[in-house]
Amino acid sequence: MSRPVPLLSASGLTKAHGRTPALRGASVELHEGEILAVTGASGSGKSTLLHCLAGIVRPDEGSVTYDGQRLTDLPEKRLSELRRTEFGVVFQFGQLIPELTALDNVALPLLLAGTDRAGARARAGEWLERFGVRGQQDLRPGELSGGQAQRTALARALVTGPKVVFADEPTGALDSLSGEQVMTALVHTARESGTSVLLITHDAQVAAYADREVQLRDGAVTPLGVTA
Amino acid sequence: MSSLRSDLRLAWELTRGSDRGEWWRVALTAAGAALATGFALAAVALASLRGSYRVPVAAGLLDEPGTRSGVIVGLLLLLVPVLGFLGQCARIGAVHRDRRLAGLRLAGATPWQVRRIAALETGPACLLGSAVATGFSVLLLLRQWDRPTALAWVGIALVAAAVPVLGAVAGALALRRVVASPLGWVRRVGQRNGRGPGLLFLAGILLVAVVALLAVATTSTPAANRPNGGPPLQLMGMVLAVGAGAVWLSGATAKATGRLLAVRARSAATLIAAERLRDDPWSAARTHAAVLLVTVAGTGFLGIRQVLSDVVHSGRNLSASTSYYTTGLDLTGAAIAVAFAITLSGLAVGTAESLATRRRGLAAQAAAGVPRTVLGRALLLETALPLAPAMLLSGLGGTAIGAWYALLAGRPVPWVIALAPVAVYAACLLAAATSLPLLRRSVRPGELRYA
Amino acid sequence: MIAMSTRHILLGLLASGPSHGYDLKRRHDERFPQARPLAYGQVYTTLQRLVRDGLAEVDGTDSDGGPERTMYRATGEGTHELSRWAAEIAPPAPFVTNEIFAKVVVSILSGGDPAAYLSAQRAAHMERMRELTAVKAAKGADLATVLSADYALNHLDADLRWMSTTAARLTTLTAEVDAV
Repeated sequence: MSRPVPLLSASGLTKAHGRTPALRGASVELHEGEILAVTGASGSGKSTLLHCLAGIVRPDEGSVTYDGQRLTDLPEKRLSELRRTEFGVVFQFGQLIPELTALDNVALPLLLAGTDRAGARARAGEWLERFGVRGQQDLRPGELSGGQAQRTALARALVTGPKVVFADEPTGALDSLSGEQVMTALVHTARESGTSVLLITHDAQVAAYADREVQLRDGAVTPLGVTA
Repeated sequence: MSSLRSDLRLAWELTRGSDRGEWWRVALTAAGAALATGFALAAVALASLRGSYRVPVAAGLLDEPGTRSGVIVGLLLLLVPVLGFLGQCARIGAVHRDRRLAGLRLAGATPWQVRRIAALETGPACLLGSAVATGFSVLLLLRQWDRPTALAWVGIALVAAAVPVLGAVAGALALRRVVASPLGWVRRVGQRNGRGPGLLFLAGILLVAVVALLAVATTSTPAANRPNGGPPLQLMGMVLAVGAGAVWLSGATAKATGRLLAVRARSAATLIAAERLRDDPWSAARTHAAVLLVTVAGTGFLGIRQVLSDVVHSGRNLSASTSYYTTGLDLTGAAIAVAFAITLSGLAVGTAESLATRRRGLAAQAAAGVPRTVLGRALLLETALPLAPAMLLSGLGGTAIGAWYALLAGRPVPWVIALAPVAVYAACLLAAATSLPLLRRSVRPGELRYA
Repeated sequence: MIAMSTRHILLGLLASGPSHGYDLKRRHDERFPQARPLAYGQVYTTLQRLVRDGLAEVDGTDSDGGPERTMYRATGEGTHELSRWAAEIAPPAPFVTNEIFAKVVVSILSGGDPAAYLSAQRAAHMERMRELTAVKAAKGADLATVLSADYALNHLDADLRWMSTTAARLTTLTAEVDAV
């Protein structure tokens, strides 16, 4: 059986922050519609791997290929456009603009893509509705609960219909019930739209939402035990 | 005083361990303190003179008590933009410092200890600036003046000591809320309102105004030969009135522009800028108020200068040489130019600081694919939007002063001066644009790695 | 997991009214999804023991068009016993019997590869957690399903966390086990 070509793949990534190596030859593949969990202890290089895969950071060595294009060769302007249109990102916190309302935060990627304000706000409203934060759409991020803020961030990441969503500890700051709501919202949407998800987490219960898991240790992917 | 020693040590360790921003704060605060000391020393030295003297600088402008008091007032007015600049410097690293000191509180430091440490972080910077300025001023003074009076020495000592003390007190005062609620400021949620610093700035202006009035009252003793003693006072009152309004005006216009544009914004950059203004309209109010003051003063001065030089060059019944008058005008012009330069620096520092504070959020925006050009545009709009209506009003105010003076002198109104605010506006945008290279540095993904 | 008392669960199901064995089994499996399904034989013997102990009694028979079935109902004593049991605190882990730990120790004693075992066990745990999460996150999953899956997930997660810390401390453990 021939494996289909992965949507996003990285091979032999190395990256150091100053003198501290974060990645030492990490390789990973993400297929279309797949939800992949990357787990590992703190400091194992999970976030750096995500940054390299999403084209936020250029690796020192190795290559990242997305949909036939080598991200490592693209100029920053094109990478930025790619992140805006084809990718969505969710971090543990900090991605919402504190001065914008929840609704405007979600509408922002659409505005950037050239949608008019009214249209963008209408679409954003639908996404907030879907994630159960419609009632809080006029609040600023500081006034939302952690779970509401993360679901808003999720709506913001998904509103442009990306092909890949990168989620870095999306439930890291949440209690287990809020975390469950965020993960269920993410997984349902991804399954419906066939969006691939790269999920970074140190929590096995969160990783269990994924189809597959890879473990990072000391900046490299370790082979997993034989699955039953 | 072993507790003071340990506090000083802690303040030093905290400053040494912090990032470059902290050193910028120290350097800029010292520079501001040096300027403040310099202007105040000059004013004090002049104020210590009584009656007529031969002062070998400025074409005899400082010889007579009347014109001397005018120069003193000018020097004191220069303190206003310096105050604005110092206020802006205090904001550098304010978020981090608040966190750090709140952390100290959580670790068990008493409110007084935190206040002392905060004062010790600001005081020495001011002391450094004040010491350097005092040193140079005294050297200069000794070259120009064979035997300065005891009064002059007392004044110099007072100013040299007052600047660092005032700086330290201001540093401790700015921390009221951290001291009151350490947790609230670690989490940094809820409403900020900038009325506190705005009021502080106003109080500073008021103080300068009172001192200036006193200086005029004491130096220009029985001015029997000057029936026209009213106009300078009226002029100053007018400048002050316009200026005091400027603080509120800049805050209020920022708020109104934000509210108005947030609803109508069509582009991402405008939306971000408008919402930021609506959220915290007072953050830039002090600097913008200083810009407005300089605009009013500058525009008004240009008008007066136009009219006066017209009068001087028509050369009828002048009591002194032409250079006496032109030197006076040039000095005033130079003072306003210096004030403008200081204000622009304050503006640039303010923009850079606003960027540095938000660098984590900006990095997240960039990671999500928000183009840098959009972030840069939003940054410029944040300065441009609230300044536009305020600039219009202050330009009108300045032109009115110029026109009033022209009418008083029975000369044609120099309408060209109405262009001055436009030039000021452009200069402000340029000053804000100096922080754009910093934006590039701020949106590094490295910022995403820490909470 | 704490062993469940089939006696008391059947008594609990009888609390809503008389019922026969097959119906009890069906309702049990419905109420406790993800639990091991009850065998009909087990239901039958348990009911007989309840009758013997005076906690339940036969309530006649019911054919309802099909084969004849014996109906049971709880006695007053049974109801009393049920409420006593329901309020009784379950003993929190009275004995630590852990098969995984035993296997790690045996593996060290017999010169095996405990790290490989832990890694394989971890993968198996994750696989089961993914299954349970899929059940839980499926659209329209009812709360009983979600909660019972959650219960199992949390226990598996606890095992998993224990396995990670153990894997990180295997060298020390090996030295300790070998020294004794």
